[in-house]
Amino acid sequence: MRAAGLTVYIVEDDAAVRDSLALMLGLAGYRTAAFADAEAFLAAWREQWTGCIVTDLRLPGASGLELQAEVRRRRSALPVIVITAHGDVPSARAAFRAQAVDFLEKPFDDAQLRAAIDSALALEERRLERRDDAEKLARLTPREREVLECAAQGLHAKEIAGSLGISPRTVEVHKTRIMEKLGVRNIAELVRFSLGAK
Amino acid sequence: MAISNPMIVRRLRDAAVFAPCYIALDWASYIAPVGPFNITPWNPQPALAIVWMMLAGLGQAPAVLAAIIAADVVVRHAPGGYLITATSAVVLTVGYAAIARALKALLRQLGLHTARDLTVFAAVVLAGTGLVGAAFVGLLGGARLLGDIALQDAWLRFWLGDAVGVLVTAPLLLAAADPARRAALLELARRPEVGLQALVLGATLWLIFAGLGGDPAHHFYLLFLPLIWIAMRSGMSGAIVATGIVQIGVVLGIHRGGGPALPVMELQILVTALTLTGLFLGVVVDERKRAEAGLRESLRLAAAGEMAGAIAHEVNQPLTALTNYGRSAQMLLAGAGMPQLSEIIRRMLQEADRAADVVRRLRDFFRAGSTRLAPVEARELLEAACRMAESAAGAHSIRIEATSDAPLPALFIDRLQVELILRNLVANAVDSLAMSASPGGRITLSASAHDAAHVRIVVADSGPGIAEADRERVFEPFVSGKPTGMGLGLAVSRAIAEAHGGSLAAAPRGHGEFHLILPCAPPA
Repeated sequence: MRAAGLTVYIVEDDAAVRDSLALMLGLAGYRTAAFADAEAFLAAWREQWTGCIVTDLRLPGASGLELQAEVRRRRSALPVIVITAHGDVPSARAAFRAQAVDFLEKPFDDAQLRAAIDSALALEERRLERRDDAEKLARLTPREREVLECAAQGLHAKEIAGSLGISPRTVEVHKTRIMEKLGVRNIAELVRFSLGAK
Repeated sequence: MAISNPMIVRRLRDAAVFAPCYIALDWASYIAPVGPFNITPWNPQPALAIVWMMLAGLGQAPAVLAAIIAADVVVRHAPGGYLITATSAVVLTVGYAAIARALKALLRQLGLHTARDLTVFAAVVLAGTGLVGAAFVGLLGGARLLGDIALQDAWLRFWLGDAVGVLVTAPLLLAAADPARRAALLELARRPEVGLQALVLGATLWLIFAGLGGDPAHHFYLLFLPLIWIAMRSGMSGAIVATGIVQIGVVLGIHRGGGPALPVMELQILVTALTLTGLFLGVVVDERKRAEAGLRESLRLAAAGEMAGAIAHEVNQPLTALTNYGRSAQMLLAGAGMPQLSEIIRRMLQEADRAADVVRRLRDFFRAGSTRLAPVEARELLEAACRMAESAAGAHSIRIEATSDAPLPALFIDRLQVELILRNLVANAVDSLAMSASPGGRITLSASAHDAAHVRIVVADSGPGIAEADRERVFEPFVSGKPTGMGLGLAVSRAIAEAHGGSLAAAPRGHGEFHLILPCAPPA
């Protein structure tokens, strides 16, 4: 099952296609939200939305590609999957240039669609993890960050104390606070975290 | 022997037709002879020999040789003695055979339909007759049979006589041998304008040789006017006939004007120039007409393509929804222990896939003209087409059946696209029979070998067929004979057949009959 909070946002003007997509994806265990056009989606959009967008290429009003561009302009990283009943090469190229995850031709194979959604959501999960890590790092004091950097290089408490000009006892206190703030249990996790956050 | 006997009989029979024609033509054109060897300024008979060998094969060379010898004896009384007659006949036969061989190898079609073919024809004929003339005159010169005529002069006369004879006569003979050209000529004969053109042409000839008096060569240029008119209006077919009439007119004029008193050589040079002008103008006019027709058709097909794209989009939406609902139903049924229902839904989805495939191919075809070729058995294809139409035909008590010559090579086609053609043709046949007054009727689908690389599929029905005037028109997009027809079926069908390197045409029969030519798989 997917991480909580991830939603598949369906933007499709054809009511039957929209309804059937939401039903099928819902049965397959995805949380879905459906919109009839790009404008409706953009009006409802919140910065904290996470998941992925599945949009038709041809929509009344703004097209799927324009929706994709607007989402990027708003600095949202929501991955986009474009579906179309009119698979043409220029649109596909434009979609991929704007970092679409996939470009599917209607009627598509449901396995294909689910694979595309899964890879989009996996992308989103990694992004969210990185974002959480960045937030946790931001909570460290400057001194704690110095200690973390030294620890990440594999230095012992005594060596850190020497290079920072503080007592080894204080270094140990900092380390405990860092591990608390970052939510890691041991030094190994601490090292891994600092590497991943870079 | 059992095999060669009928072949020999056939060859002898063909030769018995050819030889008298050749001698008669030689005799008819035996005018204004020069020198003791009687070189004439107009020799249409080589055209007959060349076209004959092009059509019947080089195996006819002995018959040509015999005809040339016989003509020399009958028409000219073999002035150089029998040995010279035989030797010169061999030279001519070899030369004409070489020209025939070269034309057959280089011409793409017999009917001289393109400027390229016409250029090749004119070049081969001019060069070939020049070489034949050199050999022939050289032989006579060597045997001191030219009398007081210079070798060069004799060669020029011979060359001109043969060249103009072949240039004027061969296109007529080739036209008669080419079905498309023959049909065009027959159609031409029915146009009232053509009568007027012939009248003007005849009047101009009379003016030149009698009306205006003096040297006919001085007024010869007048002939270009009616010839240009004819070529502009009737294309190559008109030009071929008109140049033939001019040549005959010139010959009659020479006869009437007292033969050698007239500048026969000069007239023949003018006829050559006129002929080449007329033929090239005619072929260019034809090519332009073809290009126009092609453009019109492709514009219409582009419109049809737009429409197919729009339809594909509209049909794809419900197909997508249908597929999604089907998958949802499958998910709900998983583990519910209803295998029968699961199976029904699986088949439903399979059909939705098939429909999507048809729509995709149709759109693909218009988009890129792309086809996915694979070997398909003709018999199987026809039987499938019959099965598809059975219920519709049965509703009108129409009998439908497929026959095919066994064994046929496999077709090399895009099955879905060709099925579309057959479905179209059969549906049209069913509609035509259903609309006719008498109930019932019969539709037959048959396949037979067309040539080494193609199979012909004939879809025939016992209905009234298509009116002669509409036989080509029905293939234009948005032209339909049916009250509710969109007029796309046959246009798309023909486009598909041509994209395969085949063709689709309505046969001129008293009943409905379409001929679909498709390529076979290359031998494994």
